Amino acid sequence: MADLFDLLIIGGGITGQCAALTAAVAGAKVGIVDFGQNAGSHANAGSLHVQLQSRFLRLNPHLAENVESSLPLYLAAVQEWEALDTQLGGVELSREGGLMLAESADQMVFLRQKAEREARKGLAVDILERDALGRIAPYLGPSIVGAELCHDEGKLNPLIANKKLNARLGELGVRQIADRIDRIDIEPGKPAAIGQTRYEASHILIAAAWGTEVLTEGLGLRLPTPPEPLHMNITEPGEYAIKHLVQHAERSITLKQFRSGQVVIGGGWPAQQEHAEATPRVRSDSFLGNVALAAAIAPGIAQLRILRTWAGVNTPVDGKATIGPIRPGAPVSLALPGDAGYTLGPIVGRCAAEMILGMPTQIDPEPYSPSRWAA
Amino acid sequence: MNETVEFTFDGITLTARKDVSVAAALTGAGHRQFRLTNGNKPRGIFCGIGVCQDCLLTIDGRPNRRACMTPVEDGMRVETQIAQAPLVAQNAAQKTAERRAPDVLIVGGGAAGLAAGIAARSQGADVLLLDERKVAGGQYFKQRASAHSDPVDRQQAHGANLIDRARARGVEILPGAEVWGAFEGPEIMASTETHTYALKPGALIVATGAYERPIMIPGWTLPGVMTVGAAQTLWRSYGVLPGKRVAIFGNGPLCAQVALELSKGGAEITVLGEAAPPGWTRPGALLSMASNDRLLAAKGVGMLLGLRRRGIFVSWRAQPLAIKEDGDKLIVRYQVGGAEHKASVDAVCLNFGFQPQNEILRLLGARMRFDERFGQVRPERNANLETSVSGVYAVGDCCGLGGAHAALIEGHIAGIAASGGADPTPRDFAALSRHRRFQNALWRLYAADMPEIEHADGETVICRCEEVTCGAVDDALSAGARDIGAIKRATRVGMGRCQGRYCAPALADYLAKKSGRKVEDRSFFAPQVPIKPVDVATVAATEVLLNTPPADG
Repeated sequence: MADLFDLLIIGGGITGQCAALTAAVAGAKVGIVDFGQNAGSHANAGSLHVQLQSRFLRLNPHLAENVESSLPLYLAAVQEWEALDTQLGGVELSREGGLMLAESADQMVFLRQKAEREARKGLAVDILERDALGRIAPYLGPSIVGAELCHDEGKLNPLIANKKLNARLGELGVRQIADRIDRIDIEPGKPAAIGQTRYEASHILIAAAWGTEVLTEGLGLRLPTPPEPLHMNITEPGEYAIKHLVQHAERSITLKQFRSGQVVIGGGWPAQQEHAEATPRVRSDSFLGNVALAAAIAPGIAQLRILRTWAGVNTPVDGKATIGPIRPGAPVSLALPGDAGYTLGPIVGRCAAEMILGMPTQIDPEPYSPSRWAA
Repeated sequence: MNETVEFTFDGITLTARKDVSVAAALTGAGHRQFRLTNGNKPRGIFCGIGVCQDCLLTIDGRPNRRACMTPVEDGMRVETQIAQAPLVAQNAAQKTAERRAPDVLIVGGGAAGLAAGIAARSQGADVLLLDERKVAGGQYFKQRASAHSDPVDRQQAHGANLIDRARARGVEILPGAEVWGAFEGPEIMASTETHTYALKPGALIVATGAYERPIMIPGWTLPGVMTVGAAQTLWRSYGVLPGKRVAIFGNGPLCAQVALELSKGGAEITVLGEAAPPGWTRPGALLSMASNDRLLAAKGVGMLLGLRRRGIFVSWRAQPLAIKEDGDKLIVRYQVGGAEHKASVDAVCLNFGFQPQNEILRLLGARMRFDERFGQVRPERNANLETSVSGVYAVGDCCGLGGAHAALIEGHIAGIAASGGADPTPRDFAALSRHRRFQNALWRLYAADMPEIEHADGETVICRCEEVTCGAVDDALSAGARDIGAIKRATRVGMGRCQGRYCAPALADYLAKKSGRKVEDRSFFAPQVPIKPVDVATVAATEVLLNTPPADG
């Protein structure tokens, strides 16, 4: 049997690590067990989403209500990221706003309606016609007729963030263990996570994204967490000109530029994956389609060369976060961002840790209760 | 034949012979620094074969063009490449997109690829052969850039003859074609300066050859430090010397050959350092070489005698230690046996073995195994040289180093098989085993303790592209990174333009030693498209093609 932890976290992605950070700073003895396979945080490209992602609305129209009700959580999430940026000594975070582009009058109508809904939820959004848009985003191509600007959106460099967060956890004495947890035992006594070794802890937090479903099967929950393998591309560096996080009202894309000058293109094009634990593979239609769309949106990138592509795993669940104990008073909790995991991970992880430690929470966790997953 | 062109480099007018690469044109004019990295470090020619992506220049307003792969043209405007080129769409290439479905597609126009093409044509197959360079022939046959100049020796003449035969037989050779996509099917995507292709062949023969392994020592990224093959290309293909005074370090017969060629061309070979002990200490290997290929063995002896006649003596058991800039000279510090020496030169050439170019095979999912003796991942093949992926064949040095003679036979076997011909004959097998025995003896002769990064100074660069040091890799290991992917994410090693081609083998070996695990296919970075960097405009042009239904429905 390994050490006895106050808090054992299953999943070492951004959510689990931020939960560990909160708990370790509060003085808890924390361990993280991670399986090292298909971590969404390792493949993430660092978009800070706030406005409703048209991709999600299109692909999962039945979940639109859930996503919309989460908007305040997204706002809190970017504030949490800013705090983390300060705490970690800089992760190349910038919040120069996110643009959602329109190429037709219909799309402008869609964006206006969306902007109204978002404004009611407290987001700072503007609708820009072509001239005003051209002034702040001269890199956009001629087919773009206007855009919604969400002032709260931004981006960061996830490689730097992950590395610094990892180092910070090391300083705080958080133990990170490589193992694959197969099940969790609640009875008798203290809860235990069973992998190659048995890990006992006062409390266990599951922050395992697509791995959550299997782990919660024996805990009286029915919580489907199918992985959504997504495609990404990155170019060689160019002059730093694309300062916004760029999306499209109707088509799948995120386009942004790191401070290194590299342009990152993604936004939900599918990758192929045989099963949840297989390494996702790049599809030719996603590679070509995603890059071609980026070229139409920002013609200035035409001469930059794509250096790499990769596929990462998103876990959209039901489009809404799940935070808190599996049952009131249970020694096992969940922290699942429910789409946009990298944006939401820090606030979701923090909130879950605060609840476990009995601290006041940064946000009201009530809407995100796991009770909706009771079998 | 001696037609010249005028071009400018950062505003200064220079002249060069027509048909040479921009890299050769600049080297001939005494320029070796082509670009500045993000860290403001100077870079120039390194690999000379389009792999390292370090010789980038802005040419006629188009950024990040490889000097080694671009022919110089009259009136060309060449500029030093800055780290972050402006985002300008105007000069982007407008390429014509085409679908093709040849019976047999061959990637690589060296010995193996050309032989495969000739063999497949003999079975009546319709054959398309792609070669990255403007002139096919590959690294062994290394052709003159200009069709009008005479071959420099028999090796080059043999290559010219093979290319002529392939053409005469009806092999369609597409020069300047770089493969960037490989997907299930197989479906191959490639582009030239003017065209982009989506190719669905009946059978695919991968004959992509190998590239040279460097030695990672302080200063190996400096302009003027290049692979032995890069120096050879400058001279054999373009008639330009890498410098007046040249130091050559490495392992294997290429170093001696190039020393002799450059010396005949007028260079002063200051040092010829071979990592292996002298050949006469390994009579068994020598004997085996002579009994398997008397001619080739005699060629080797002739080479060493030729060097001696020119006053060039091989320093056996030699290794370079560090290279520094001193004005326009390079000071290389090296050791021979136990003693340390220094030399002041214009160019330092390095070759510490070869790395197979197996990216297409790995991407298509061909089963690979690790060869411990050469530290290479090699594809598994059946007697017809077909890989574990049906319809995908692999021949020549992309399967591990076998040499040009074995490559010719392998190409022949696969070319016949891929076009539905008969199985290889006992004669094919006998010839192939004879050449393999020769290669085996050759590398027993040249077996040497190879430099490894665990002995490197912490400041030594392991990743040329992202300027990552060995020390940074060690820091990532101490911080808990457990596999090559985690080290990549923590340090950016392998994230640059060469796509990990130089750092991955070194890193895989290092991690295996640290962890006590064996190197395997998974020890390397996961294979992904693009196989070579490809510009956004070319990808977009290909997407339009694939979204348009074929004309014949």
